[in-house]
Amino acid sequence: MRAFPKLRPTAWDGLVVLCVAALALGTALFQWRGGSSGALTAVVSVDGEETDRFAPAELLEAPRIYSANGYTLEVCAAVRGEASPLDHRNSGGEAGIRVSRSDCPTQDCVHTGTITRGGQSIVCLPARIVIRLEGGTVAPDAVDAVLG
Amino acid sequence: MKLTTKQLTLCALLTAMALALSYLENLFPLSLAVPIPGVKLGLANIVTVFALYALGPGEALLILLARCFLGSLFAGNMNALLFSLLGGLCAMGTMILLSRRRGLSLYGVSVGGAAAHNCGQTAAAVLTLGSAAPLYYLPVLLAVSLLTGGLTGLASACLFQGLRRTGLMKG
Repeated sequence: MRAFPKLRPTAWDGLVVLCVAALALGTALFQWRGGSSGALTAVVSVDGEETDRFAPAELLEAPRIYSANGYTLEVCAAVRGEASPLDHRNSGGEAGIRVSRSDCPTQDCVHTGTITRGGQSIVCLPARIVIRLEGGTVAPDAVDAVLG
Repeated sequence: MKLTTKQLTLCALLTAMALALSYLENLFPLSLAVPIPGVKLGLANIVTVFALYALGPGEALLILLARCFLGSLFAGNMNALLFSLLGGLCAMGTMILLSRRRGLSLYGVSVGGAAAHNCGQTAAAVLTLGSAAPLYYLPVLLAVSLLTGGLTGLASACLFQGLRRTGLMKG
Protein backbone atom coordinates (compact mmCIF):
# COMPACT_ATOMS: atom_id res chain seq x y z
CA MET A 1 0.00 0.00 0.00
CA ARG A 2 1.61 3.25 -1.12
CA ALA A 3 -0.70 5.86 0.40
CA PHE A 4 -3.95 5.32 2.20
CA PRO A 5 -6.46 7.83 0.79
CA LYS A 6 -8.82 10.08 2.69
CA LEU A 7 -12.19 8.33 2.77
CA ARG A 8 -14.40 11.22 3.92
CA PRO A 9 -15.23 14.19 1.68
CA THR A 10 -13.24 17.33 2.42
CA ALA A 11 -13.63 21.04 1.62
CA TRP A 12 -11.05 20.59 -1.16
CA ASP A 13 -13.38 18.06 -2.81
CA GLY A 14 -16.01 20.81 -2.86
CA LEU A 15 -13.55 22.96 -4.77
CA VAL A 16 -13.11 20.21 -7.41
CA VAL A 17 -16.91 19.92 -7.70
CA LEU A 18 -17.17 23.71 -8.09
CA CYS A 19 -14.47 23.71 -10.79
CA VAL A 20 -16.28 20.97 -12.77
CA ALA A 21 -19.64 22.75 -12.34
CA ALA A 22 -18.07 26.05 -13.47
CA LEU A 23 -16.56 24.31 -16.51
CA ALA A 24 -19.97 22.79 -17.33
CA LEU A 25 -21.63 26.18 -17.00
CA GLY A 26 -18.93 27.91 -19.06
CA THR A 27 -19.13 25.39 -21.89
CA ALA A 28 -22.95 25.53 -21.75
CA LEU A 29 -22.94 29.32 -22.12
CA PHE A 30 -20.48 29.05 -25.01
CA GLN A 31 -22.07 26.08 -26.78
CA TRP A 32 -25.74 26.81 -26.16
CA ARG A 33 -25.69 30.49 -26.95
CA GLY A 34 -28.20 29.94 -29.79
CA GLY A 35 -28.18 29.50 -33.51
CA SER A 36 -27.03 31.85 -36.21
CA SER A 37 -29.41 34.12 -38.06
CA GLY A 38 -31.32 32.92 -41.10
CA ALA A 39 -33.83 30.19 -41.80
CA LEU A 40 -33.55 26.98 -39.80
CA THR A 41 -31.54 24.49 -41.87
CA ALA A 42 -30.47 20.92 -41.20
CA VAL A 43 -26.90 20.10 -42.23
CA VAL A 44 -25.84 16.47 -42.54
CA SER A 45 -22.15 15.58 -42.37
CA VAL A 46 -20.57 12.19 -42.91
CA ASP A 47 -16.95 11.69 -41.79
CA GLY A 48 -16.66 15.45 -41.38
CA GLU A 49 -17.79 16.18 -44.96
CA GLU A 50 -21.08 18.00 -45.54
CA THR A 51 -23.31 15.76 -47.65
CA ASP A 52 -26.76 17.31 -47.41
CA ARG A 53 -28.49 20.54 -46.44
CA PHE A 54 -32.25 21.01 -46.28
CA ALA A 55 -35.08 22.85 -44.57
CA PRO A 56 -36.67 20.67 -41.84
CA ALA A 57 -40.10 21.24 -43.45
CA GLU A 58 -38.93 19.21 -46.48
CA LEU A 59 -39.06 16.11 -44.27
CA LEU A 60 -42.86 16.41 -44.09
CA GLU A 61 -42.94 15.14 -47.68
CA ALA A 62 -40.74 12.13 -47.01
CA PRO A 63 -38.08 11.08 -44.50
CA ARG A 64 -34.44 11.09 -45.62
CA ILE A 65 -32.17 8.09 -45.35
CA TYR A 66 -28.39 8.26 -44.87
CA SER A 67 -25.95 5.37 -44.99
CA ALA A 68 -22.31 5.45 -43.95
CA ASN A 69 -19.70 3.14 -42.47
CA GLY A 70 -22.05 0.15 -42.68
CA TYR A 71 -25.01 1.75 -40.88
CA THR A 72 -28.22 3.35 -42.11
CA LEU A 73 -30.38 5.89 -40.35
CA GLU A 74 -33.67 7.57 -41.20
CA VAL A 75 -34.31 11.23 -40.41
CA CYS A 76 -37.89 12.48 -40.20
CA ALA A 77 -39.86 15.56 -39.17
CA ALA A 78 -41.08 15.56 -35.59
CA VAL A 79 -42.65 17.75 -32.95
CA ARG A 80 -41.09 17.65 -29.50
CA GLY A 81 -43.45 15.82 -27.19
CA GLU A 82 -45.59 14.45 -30.02
CA ALA A 83 -45.69 10.91 -31.31
CA SER A 84 -46.07 12.02 -34.91
CA PRO A 85 -45.80 15.31 -36.79
CA LEU A 86 -49.23 14.55 -38.25
CA ASP A 87 -50.81 14.39 -34.80
CA HIS A 88 -52.38 17.81 -34.25
CA ARG A 89 -54.05 17.19 -30.91
CA ASN A 90 -51.48 19.36 -29.13
CA SER A 91 -50.05 22.13 -31.24
CA GLY A 92 -47.95 23.60 -28.41
CA GLY A 93 -44.81 21.60 -29.27
CA GLU A 94 -41.76 22.78 -31.21
CA ALA A 95 -41.29 21.44 -34.73
CA GLY A 96 -37.95 19.84 -35.48
CA ILE A 97 -36.26 16.72 -36.74
CA ARG A 98 -35.24 13.40 -35.24
CA VAL A 99 -33.66 10.10 -36.17
CA SER A 100 -36.61 7.75 -36.33
CA ARG A 101 -34.70 4.56 -37.12
CA SER A 102 -31.11 3.39 -37.11
CA ASP A 103 -29.39 0.02 -37.26
CA CYS A 104 -26.38 1.24 -35.27
CA PRO A 105 -25.58 -0.77 -32.12
CA THR A 106 -25.76 2.08 -29.58
CA GLN A 107 -29.06 3.70 -30.73
CA ASP A 108 -27.91 6.96 -29.10
CA CYS A 109 -28.97 8.88 -32.23
CA VAL A 110 -32.53 7.54 -31.89
CA HIS A 111 -32.64 8.15 -28.14
CA THR A 112 -31.46 11.76 -28.56
CA GLY A 113 -35.01 12.56 -29.69
CA THR A 114 -36.17 15.71 -31.44
CA ILE A 115 -33.90 18.69 -32.01
CA THR A 116 -35.64 21.97 -32.73
CA ARG A 117 -33.17 24.88 -32.45
CA GLY A 118 -30.10 26.16 -34.22
CA GLY A 119 -26.88 24.79 -32.72
CA GLN A 120 -28.45 21.49 -31.64
CA SER A 121 -27.21 18.27 -33.20
CA ILE A 122 -27.75 14.54 -33.35
CA VAL A 123 -24.59 12.46 -33.47
CA CYS A 124 -24.36 8.84 -34.60
CA LEU A 125 -20.85 7.78 -33.63
CA PRO A 126 -20.86 4.29 -35.23
CA ALA A 127 -22.02 5.71 -38.58
CA ARG A 128 -19.98 8.91 -38.10
CA ILE A 129 -22.99 10.97 -39.15
CA VAL A 130 -23.76 14.38 -37.63
CA ILE A 131 -27.10 16.11 -38.19
CA ARG A 132 -26.87 19.73 -37.07
CA LEU A 133 -29.45 22.51 -37.09
CA GLU A 134 -28.22 25.92 -38.18
CA GLY A 135 -29.95 29.29 -38.17
CA GLY A 136 -33.38 29.74 -36.69
CA THR A 137 -32.88 33.11 -35.04
CA VAL A 138 -34.07 36.36 -36.51
CA ALA A 139 -31.40 38.96 -37.25
CA PRO A 140 -31.73 42.12 -35.09
CA ASP A 141 -32.17 44.32 -38.15
CA ALA A 142 -34.66 41.98 -39.84
CA VAL A 143 -37.95 43.40 -41.10
CA ASP A 144 -40.95 42.18 -39.06
CA ALA A 145 -43.48 42.50 -41.88
CA VAL A 146 -44.00 44.29 -45.16
CA LEU A 147 -47.43 45.80 -45.69
CA GLY A 148 -48.30 46.68 -49.27
CA MET B 1 9.44 -0.48 -14.49
CA LYS B 2 10.17 -3.85 -12.93
CA LEU B 3 7.26 -5.87 -11.55
CA THR B 4 7.44 -8.77 -9.12
CA THR B 5 5.33 -11.86 -9.78
CA LYS B 6 2.95 -10.76 -7.03
CA GLN B 7 2.54 -7.28 -8.55
CA LEU B 8 2.06 -8.73 -12.03
CA THR B 9 -0.60 -11.13 -10.75
CA LEU B 10 -2.38 -8.32 -8.93
CA CYS B 11 -2.29 -6.15 -12.09
CA ALA B 12 -3.73 -9.04 -14.15
CA LEU B 13 -6.50 -9.61 -11.59
CA LEU B 14 -7.40 -5.92 -11.49
CA THR B 15 -7.42 -5.75 -15.31
CA ALA B 16 -9.85 -8.69 -15.39
CA MET B 17 -12.02 -6.97 -12.77
CA ALA B 18 -12.02 -3.70 -14.72
CA LEU B 19 -13.06 -5.56 -17.89
CA ALA B 20 -15.83 -7.35 -16.00
CA LEU B 21 -17.08 -4.04 -14.55
CA SER B 22 -17.04 -2.44 -18.03
CA TYR B 23 -19.19 -5.33 -19.28
CA LEU B 24 -21.45 -5.16 -16.21
CA GLU B 25 -22.25 -1.47 -16.67
CA ASN B 26 -23.79 -2.28 -20.07
CA LEU B 27 -26.60 -3.85 -18.03
CA PHE B 28 -27.34 -0.39 -16.57
CA PRO B 29 -27.60 1.78 -19.70
CA LEU B 30 -27.36 5.31 -18.33
CA SER B 31 -27.85 6.53 -21.90
CA LEU B 32 -31.56 5.65 -21.62
CA ALA B 33 -31.90 8.30 -18.89
CA VAL B 34 -29.42 10.74 -20.45
CA PRO B 35 -29.54 10.06 -24.21
CA ILE B 36 -26.09 11.33 -25.10
CA PRO B 37 -23.34 9.35 -26.82
CA GLY B 38 -20.64 8.29 -24.37
CA VAL B 39 -22.66 8.54 -21.14
CA LYS B 40 -21.54 5.76 -18.79
CA LEU B 41 -21.38 5.03 -15.09
CA GLY B 42 -17.62 4.45 -15.32
CA LEU B 43 -17.55 1.52 -12.91
CA ALA B 44 -14.13 0.45 -14.20
CA ASN B 45 -12.81 3.70 -12.74
CA ILE B 46 -13.17 2.14 -9.27
CA VAL B 47 -10.36 -0.25 -10.23
CA THR B 48 -8.23 2.61 -11.60
CA VAL B 49 -8.64 4.62 -8.38
CA PHE B 50 -7.83 1.56 -6.27
CA ALA B 51 -4.73 0.73 -8.34
CA LEU B 52 -3.56 4.35 -8.19
CA TYR B 53 -3.52 4.37 -4.39
CA ALA B 54 -2.72 0.72 -3.66
CA LEU B 55 -0.08 0.06 -6.35
CA GLY B 56 1.02 3.41 -7.76
CA PRO B 57 0.63 5.46 -10.97
CA GLY B 58 2.82 3.17 -13.15
CA GLU B 59 0.88 0.02 -12.36
CA ALA B 60 -2.46 1.88 -12.60
CA LEU B 61 -1.47 3.09 -16.09
CA LEU B 62 -0.52 -0.46 -17.14
CA ILE B 63 -3.92 -1.75 -15.97
CA LEU B 64 -5.69 1.07 -17.80
CA LEU B 65 -3.85 0.41 -21.08
CA ALA B 66 -4.50 -3.35 -20.83
CA ARG B 67 -8.20 -2.70 -20.15
CA CYS B 68 -8.54 -0.32 -23.10
CA PHE B 69 -6.81 -2.64 -25.60
CA LEU B 70 -8.47 -5.86 -24.39
CA GLY B 71 -11.89 -4.17 -24.06
CA SER B 72 -11.77 -2.95 -27.67
CA LEU B 73 -10.50 -6.35 -28.83
CA PHE B 74 -13.26 -8.29 -27.04
CA ALA B 75 -15.94 -5.86 -28.28
CA GLY B 76 -14.60 -6.28 -31.83
CA ASN B 77 -14.68 -2.53 -32.20
CA MET B 78 -11.28 -0.97 -32.65
CA ASN B 79 -12.94 2.43 -33.25
CA ALA B 80 -13.77 2.41 -29.54
CA LEU B 81 -10.05 2.18 -28.73
CA LEU B 82 -9.43 5.88 -29.42
CA PHE B 83 -12.37 6.82 -27.20
CA SER B 84 -11.38 4.63 -24.26
CA LEU B 85 -7.68 5.52 -24.59
CA LEU B 86 -8.16 9.29 -24.77
CA GLY B 87 -10.80 9.25 -22.03
CA GLY B 88 -8.80 6.89 -19.85
CA LEU B 89 -5.49 8.73 -20.23
CA CYS B 90 -7.09 12.13 -19.50
CA ALA B 91 -8.77 10.65 -16.40
CA MET B 92 -5.55 8.97 -15.27
CA GLY B 93 -3.43 12.11 -15.71
CA THR B 94 -5.94 14.20 -13.79
CA MET B 95 -6.30 11.64 -10.99
CA ILE B 96 -2.51 11.32 -10.61
CA LEU B 97 -2.25 15.09 -10.20
CA LEU B 98 -5.23 15.32 -7.84
CA SER B 99 -4.13 12.35 -5.72
CA ARG B 100 -0.93 14.27 -4.89
CA ARG B 101 -2.98 17.00 -3.24
CA ARG B 102 -3.10 15.93 0.39
CA GLY B 103 -6.36 17.73 1.14
CA LEU B 104 -8.41 15.79 -1.42
CA SER B 105 -10.32 12.61 -0.63
CA LEU B 106 -11.30 9.80 -3.00
CA TYR B 107 -14.45 11.76 -3.89
CA GLY B 108 -12.61 14.77 -5.28
CA VAL B 109 -10.13 12.57 -7.16
CA SER B 110 -12.97 10.48 -8.66
CA VAL B 111 -15.05 13.50 -9.70
CA GLY B 112 -11.99 15.11 -11.32
CA GLY B 113 -11.18 11.86 -13.11
CA ALA B 114 -14.75 11.41 -14.36
CA ALA B 115 -14.86 14.98 -15.70
CA ALA B 116 -11.48 14.55 -17.43
CA HIS B 117 -12.66 11.21 -18.87
CA ASN B 118 -15.67 12.91 -20.47
CA CYS B 119 -13.48 15.72 -21.83
CA GLY B 120 -11.14 13.10 -23.38
CA GLN B 121 -14.01 11.17 -24.92
CA THR B 122 -15.51 14.37 -26.34
CA ALA B 123 -12.12 15.20 -27.87
CA ALA B 124 -12.03 11.69 -29.39
CA ALA B 125 -15.53 12.23 -30.84
CA VAL B 126 -14.47 15.59 -32.34
CA LEU B 127 -11.40 13.92 -33.90
CA THR B 128 -13.37 10.91 -35.20
CA LEU B 129 -16.29 12.88 -36.66
CA GLY B 130 -14.20 15.80 -37.92
CA SER B 131 -16.85 18.07 -36.46
CA ALA B 132 -17.21 20.24 -33.36
CA ALA B 133 -20.82 19.04 -32.92
CA PRO B 134 -19.99 16.68 -29.99
CA LEU B 135 -18.92 19.75 -27.94
CA TYR B 136 -22.63 20.53 -27.70
CA TYR B 137 -22.97 17.59 -25.29
CA LEU B 138 -19.96 18.50 -23.12
CA PRO B 139 -21.87 20.61 -20.53
CA VAL B 140 -24.29 17.73 -19.87
CA LEU B 141 -21.46 15.18 -19.79
CA LEU B 142 -19.59 17.32 -17.23
CA ALA B 143 -22.73 17.66 -15.11
CA VAL B 144 -23.26 13.88 -15.26
CA SER B 145 -19.61 13.35 -14.24
CA LEU B 146 -20.38 15.01 -10.89
CA LEU B 147 -22.85 12.20 -10.23
CA THR B 148 -20.87 9.30 -11.71
CA GLY B 149 -17.60 10.53 -10.15
CA GLY B 150 -19.32 10.82 -6.78
CA LEU B 151 -20.68 7.28 -7.13
CA THR B 152 -17.31 5.75 -8.06
CA GLY B 153 -15.74 7.75 -5.23
CA LEU B 154 -18.27 6.28 -2.81
CA ALA B 155 -17.66 2.75 -4.12
CA SER B 156 -13.87 3.23 -3.85
CA ALA B 157 -14.21 4.62 -0.30
CA CYS B 158 -16.31 1.58 0.70
CA LEU B 159 -13.69 -0.70 -0.85
CA PHE B 160 -10.81 0.89 1.08
CA GLN B 161 -12.88 0.94 4.28
CA GLY B 162 -13.62 -2.75 3.88
CA LEU B 163 -9.97 -3.56 3.26
CA ARG B 164 -8.94 -1.59 6.34
CA ARG B 165 -11.38 -3.61 8.45
CA THR B 166 -9.93 -6.88 7.17
CA GLY B 167 -6.50 -5.77 8.34
CA LEU B 168 -5.02 -6.29 4.86
CA MET B 169 -4.41 -2.57 4.56
CA LYS B 170 -3.54 -0.06 7.19
CA GLY B 171 -4.49 3.58 7.03
